[in-house]
Amino acid sequence: MSVVILAAWLLVLPVVVGGLMAVDGNRFRKNLPFLWTMGQVLLWALFQLICVPFVLMERTLSDVVTVYGTASLGLALLSLLLGFVRYRRKHTVSVSVVEEKRKETRLWHCFLWALFAGLLIFQLVQAVRMTYYDGDDAFYVATSTLAEESDQMYVKMPYTGGYTGLDARHGIAPFPIWIAFLARISGIRTVTMAHVVAPLALIPMTYGIYYLIGKKLFPGKGERLPLFLVLTEILTLFGDYSIYSVENFMIARSRQGKAAIGSILLPVIFFLLIMILERLQERSKVEIYWWLLLEASIMAACLCSTLGTLLSCLLLFVVGGCAAVCYRKWRILLPLALCCLPAVCYAILYLLQD
Amino acid sequence: MWKEIITLFQAYMGKGLIVGWFLLSVVYLLVQEKRKNIRILFVYAPILLLLVFFNPLFAKIIYTMVDTEIYYRVLWLIPMTPVIAYAAAQLYNGLRGKVRIAFAAACVALIMVSGSYIYQDLNFHRAENLYHMPQSVVDICDAIEIEGREVTAAFPLEMLQFVRQYSPVICMPYGREQLVGQWNFFRDFLYLEMEKEVIDAAELARLSKEASCHYVILHEGKQVKGDLLAYDFVLFDKIDGYLIYKDTTMNFTLEPR
Repeated sequence: MSVVILAAWLLVLPVVVGGLMAVDGNRFRKNLPFLWTMGQVLLWALFQLICVPFVLMERTLSDVVTVYGTASLGLALLSLLLGFVRYRRKHTVSVSVVEEKRKETRLWHCFLWALFAGLLIFQLVQAVRMTYYDGDDAFYVATSTLAEESDQMYVKMPYTGGYTGLDARHGIAPFPIWIAFLARISGIRTVTMAHVVAPLALIPMTYGIYYLIGKKLFPGKGERLPLFLVLTEILTLFGDYSIYSVENFMIARSRQGKAAIGSILLPVIFFLLIMILERLQERSKVEIYWWLLLEASIMAACLCSTLGTLLSCLLLFVVGGCAAVCYRKWRILLPLALCCLPAVCYAILYLLQD
Repeated sequence: MWKEIITLFQAYMGKGLIVGWFLLSVVYLLVQEKRKNIRILFVYAPILLLLVFFNPLFAKIIYTMVDTEIYYRVLWLIPMTPVIAYAAAQLYNGLRGKVRIAFAAACVALIMVSGSYIYQDLNFHRAENLYHMPQSVVDICDAIEIEGREVTAAFPLEMLQFVRQYSPVICMPYGREQLVGQWNFFRDFLYLEMEKEVIDAAELARLSKEASCHYVILHEGKQVKGDLLAYDFVLFDKIDGYLIYKDTTMNFTLEPR
């Protein structure tokens, strides 16, 4: 039963919620990795919106479970309803997925896809078989375990169990509470949820985003996309050239929010910026859902780590500045600045608590 | 400040070969890439971000806001993996026939030689259970847990980071904060006694009672001067090479947490 609940919450629900962005004109509206990853980003943003006030008000994990659980299901319901309405109006007729359905039969092409799948499965098997002892887990995983067991959030020292009063500084980025939430709804022990289940969901999500980036980099051209994905996998598997690399965090510490920033949310922001800049290049209007997704991904970055506020804003600032100069469109800076607003608010909260 | 930035960058680069491939890829894309949006994201922004990272003024501002040791994460904004993979795939596209396959294989081989295989990292271990915790920690925690209340136990150094990940009802008088030198935490006297080469049983008993420890866990190979049993302790259990001493003067009755 636990596995079914987790599969529903980590696989099905994000896809359904991602359907909110499956509007007419979106080339990715029938793309499963797009729906899954963007749906999860939306759900994380929602979690951040709900959880931080609850943490600061010293409410319980049960309250978060009730409110966030209901809100997520409500979002999924809304998505299904909108999807149904679109279907009834026959607005879902495909205009652009032809290339996605194109069947490449060449052996080399198939080999590359098989290699990609094989390497992904290998990483998932290793995620269960191997464990990485990291000292930071003594804080993050213990925070999740403590919240799940005591129902309290950020009021006890995870290292020892002593009362500290509200630790608002860490409570502003409550990724460990998301892990505790999953443990609570599934009934799986929190430590297993963090060390085993989270990597199984988050590692494929990274490659899902690389797939989306690859789709944009190589539109409709056979072998380069699987080759790109295979190379990203090899670079990840051999990314232990430093303990600081994103790849090291992704494989070794995927249960920690900071790993999710480097390996999931920054690539998501890159993908969204590719889409937005492409619109600028085509001199067409940037659809509202791209801005919404960018806003959500920045919120999600704030969920993962307090540094996420700074990193996401810095990325938008640098890319926005480059785009404004290259396209001579200074107006782009305004919506980008608006997307940074929630991060700025969380950063102010952080500085006030520090 | 400049020196610290360089040290962090060197630590981030490791052997430096992957960063080398990334810089070559950026140069290649600077020359070859036609799409402006890709140039912005894969060429201009990474170059600017590198300049930002090496800017001492920016570093100083960040240092005042966050821990200095995490400044390297600014480098995460540089999409090294997709840039290298993209440049390689574009080069591949310019080739024909079997040369393509040879080139793809060469790319894979070069990355493998330049990088370091992640599962060979010394911190990776074969998981002993589905909790991904050392089995000794699991067994000891299960043995000393009391349904319905918290207990306090002094653990040896090698178990500190695991205990509360597995069991939140086991409290500790000191934790992982004792292991990180630069955090400047107060060094707990009980911890210092536990980690002495030869433990003084009388001192350990005194400090343990002061910290209200229900249990003291010692590796069976640990040398102890004197006998803990002489200070109201009993040998509660012996698990996976560890001796679990129980302080009989402590309160073990159920109490609301």
